[in-house]
Amino acid sequence: MSEKITFKELVELIAKQSEQSQSSANSFISELVEIIEAGLKTDGQVSISGFGKFELRWMNERSGTNPQTGEQITIPGQNKVVFKPYKALREGVNAPYADLESKIIDKENNLDRKKSKEIFTTPVKKSGSQESLDDLLIERDNPYSGNKDRVIDKQEPEPVANVASAKRPNPAIVKEVRDKGTFNWSFAAAGIIALLAFLLLFYMVQRDPESADPQITDSIESPVTAESETDREMETGTPPPPPAEPPVDEIDDSQSDIETENYEILPGQSLWTIAEAELGNPYLWPFIYYLNSDIIDNPNAIPLATNLQIPIISNPDNLSELERDQVARGYLALYHWNRDNNPDQARYFLWAVGVFSTDLLENLPSDVDAEDLAFALSR
Amino acid sequence: MNYNELIDRLSEQTGNTKTGSKKMLQNAITVLSDQLESGNGVSIPDLGTFSTRITPERKVYNPHYDAEMMVPKKRIVEFTPATGLKDEVKYLGKKDE
Repeated sequence: MSEKITFKELVELIAKQSEQSQSSANSFISELVEIIEAGLKTDGQVSISGFGKFELRWMNERSGTNPQTGEQITIPGQNKVVFKPYKALREGVNAPYADLESKIIDKENNLDRKKSKEIFTTPVKKSGSQESLDDLLIERDNPYSGNKDRVIDKQEPEPVANVASAKRPNPAIVKEVRDKGTFNWSFAAAGIIALLAFLLLFYMVQRDPESADPQITDSIESPVTAESETDREMETGTPPPPPAEPPVDEIDDSQSDIETENYEILPGQSLWTIAEAELGNPYLWPFIYYLNSDIIDNPNAIPLATNLQIPIISNPDNLSELERDQVARGYLALYHWNRDNNPDQARYFLWAVGVFSTDLLENLPSDVDAEDLAFALSR
Repeated sequence: MNYNELIDRLSEQTGNTKTGSKKMLQNAITVLSDQLESGNGVSIPDLGTFSTRITPERKVYNPHYDAEMMVPKKRIVEFTPATGLKDEVKYLGKKDE
């Protein structure tokens, strides 16, 4: 390393490489040098493909000092020969350090980071408390612009993921920054994480539709549609304020008022698909769960050939008060189940309780997480 | 002078075919590049010396991000023209390319 090979060695190597005699290699080099010199004189530049470019650079007249006498002299304008290596040579020579990248120095970066943090923390804080999803959406759209649809999909299902990514330290922001800008980069990271979470969720849906679907539809579908659906249901339901619900301890009696039929669950079916096929609306699957809560332990994994009680619903678009209440209680039961097994998603079930029965949501037993309740009530 | 012109001139002067000259030139370049890539300096009489040097990491200011950046160390090719060549072209006058 860092040694110098002599011209003789160079000629030997070239002769070997080209399978020619040393003398011809030698004369070739001197011809080459002559031509380069001539080329510089006539054109001011000689380009050798794959290697580099020799060119003349004009240095303007400048003043300097004679280092020996200290007197001021004027250095006249003159040409300088410069060699600019082309990319292949540059990269080949730099190969040992190729993995090093430019970094933004942390201290100087504070400003950028602060910016990106501000944008992040505002929505993040709110997602933890009672701000509605719509508010989140509006706030998050800004940094993305032009990318709205995807953003909605990505951001909505997992505010949690955003919290994580926002909290993630930006250790050394790497060279990629050059293309995107610092906070764009952190958003991209957040987006990727959210997307991964979304894919994971989607995967879960494919496998266990009955568990994941409601939260997905509640959360992933752009809230506008979710909401409008809710509104529609509310409107088509019973316009006047619903009468007082039967107290909790009377549920069993009221349950008997609901007509049911036996249903044997088949391979590949889930509560979601059964609700879709039998009840006419997959969102009503918690109803089945509620009626069978004594048999079903895990709503995501129902043993084969389980005999379920399926409610008979005359009009899924126009549920009776009792039916709505039952669905809501199903969601409430699922909320409790998810509190224990899937705490991140539980609050969506609580929110769904309010969709079907606001009364029930407002008169919940005290064993509901205050934060989740706030989230559900904010809708 | 571009690469093709260079090869034309080479074949004229050496009496080789163009393909032969091209091959020869490419071989010479390969050897040179290999030497430089392994960190060796090469000196060619009447042309100059090629060598490599490591530029230490340095701070630069990047106006786009309004931040200072640390550019890592790099190994670069250096070329020092031979005195003869330098003097030949020195007072040719300013060339507009």
